[in-house]
Amino acid sequence: MSANDTVSLFLENAAKVAAGTHRVENKDRLKDKVAAIVLKGVPVFCPQTTELENVVAALFDKLAPDYTSADASVEEVTAAIAETGSIVCASTGGKAVQSSLLPSHHVAIVPREKLFATLDDFFAAYATSPPTNITLITGPSRTADIELNLVIGVHGPERLDIIVV
Amino acid sequence: MSTQTSLNFRANAAKAIKDAPLRASMRNAADTFGTRRTSAMSAVDFEALREKASAIRMKVLDNHAAYLEQFTTQATKAGATVHRAHDAAAANQIITQVLKNHGVRMAAKGKSMVSEETHLNEHLEKEGIEVVETDLGEYIIQLDGETPSHIIVPAIHKNRQQIGKLFADRLGVPYSEDPQVLTKIARKVLREKFLTADAGISGANFAIAESGSLVIVTNEGNGRMVTTVPPLHIAILSIEKILPSLKDLPTFIRLLPRSATGQAISTYVSIITGARKPGDATGAKELHIVLLDNGRSEILAGEMREMLKCIRCGACMNVCPVYRTVGGHSYGWTYPGPMGIVLTTLLTGLKKSHPLVDASTLCGACNEVCPVKIPLAELILKQRVNRVSEGLSPSKINIGMGLFQIATKSSFLFSLGERLANMFWPIMRMFGGKNVVGRLPHPAKTAFRRRFK
Repeated sequence: MSANDTVSLFLENAAKVAAGTHRVENKDRLKDKVAAIVLKGVPVFCPQTTELENVVAALFDKLAPDYTSADASVEEVTAAIAETGSIVCASTGGKAVQSSLLPSHHVAIVPREKLFATLDDFFAAYATSPPTNITLITGPSRTADIELNLVIGVHGPERLDIIVV
Repeated sequence: MSTQTSLNFRANAAKAIKDAPLRASMRNAADTFGTRRTSAMSAVDFEALREKASAIRMKVLDNHAAYLEQFTTQATKAGATVHRAHDAAAANQIITQVLKNHGVRMAAKGKSMVSEETHLNEHLEKEGIEVVETDLGEYIIQLDGETPSHIIVPAIHKNRQQIGKLFADRLGVPYSEDPQVLTKIARKVLREKFLTADAGISGANFAIAESGSLVIVTNEGNGRMVTTVPPLHIAILSIEKILPSLKDLPTFIRLLPRSATGQAISTYVSIITGARKPGDATGAKELHIVLLDNGRSEILAGEMREMLKCIRCGACMNVCPVYRTVGGHSYGWTYPGPMGIVLTTLLTGLKKSHPLVDASTLCGACNEVCPVKIPLAELILKQRVNRVSEGLSPSKINIGMGLFQIATKSSFLFSLGERLANMFWPIMRMFGGKNVVGRLPHPAKTAFRRRFK
């Protein structure tokens, strides 16, 4: 499978579980995309620990100091997995995995070199000394606890957007 | 609170069968999950996957002591405190002590069937510690003082009208029967609980020996909340839930959600390795892991150890003609359906649960869907044999089967029996009772075997 096909498969699988999926060519396009996706004026959390995060952080006039007070969080994620359409948030490098959990809108930036083809590829890389927390996230949070009716947005995000750069 | 016991299975079932809304809910769940499961499995090579999964689980059971030791060592190295609990009382005691040491008044709890097994909530409440269930289904039944009827969707026995009324009564919100509205109400109420809880209590789907990690598979996000937001996290799990390495996890990620709900993967798979370390911004400051035995070591040493391969997907329940008719509460203990029959009779002893072994047609549908190839029908049959050898089968059946055995050994007696049955059928119906012999058709005039002369 070519790298391009892997990206397509990833986005296809993520879309199947109600994630918004986007693909951009470069940093400038990323800025446009994030500006278009995130609701204007809401408090946004952006950890600003990577170059791409710094690029998009400049877009917001109202940056939230932490994830608990934010309505949206925009961050670069640790990895992604094409087989399942999952993004991966890990605690590596002092990252707060909760920023993908508490705000009701989560925007995940995936640099394409961080995309793994299968679950096996991903776990082979992390099996021996995993960080404190690794979370595979596939779509926004959901439940079917009332008469098996699917409801999106329970305790975690009500909306998930994924942008592959 | 349900007062139904496993010994009363027949009476429980008879009552459940007359409950039309319950039966409609159960049918809906079984059909929906069954269909979704079938379609999800079509995307993978189920036979190859479950062969692999079964082999991994068997390897764990064959070397259980060593893997458990390795897990304990690695989890401790990662900063967790690992406790071993011989039985339910010990587990509850350990958890109470940890919570009291931290002055915990309120704990937010994720879904854990093992904690249902130990009646943890009841125990903690007696000790003055408030426990809030945060899985939507668990929250619903906690509000109504009930126990789960399904291990994946615990409130499946309630319809939306009942839930709407419950929320209006207990939470003082306007009545609604829209699942969307009801879910958002729970989101709001429980968000407050997550942020103010002094501790989080969770179960775990797997424990990884090589890295000392816990794996928790959820959809709602409450499992992530209780394990990352409060400063203290206590995980309770039973000792058989070990996998050798994270490299084994993909097989189970491919099988578990597909078997349970028909999802290709659940929304969240959390892998927690120890407590928060210097430089981390994620993780509870303190992590306690309670490994519950509660009779499992004995099962491990016995002839029915394969039962411990179980990964609690619930697939065997959804396909079981008995379960889908009588519902989860009829079984009278924590685990219902085919896996529940075997596990309940093993963990609580046949003496307290033997009527459950009749709760099966031995059709084998459970065997066909089990993602770790547990021969459930054979294990249930074995428990029927054990019931007889332990002298627990009803005396009427013993006498009847004893006479039948004598008759089948002699062609003369068997033929005589055939003729007598025909002659005395009206009398047998009188004594046999309306519900047993009364339901059977009159014996054929000519026996089946005589038609082939």
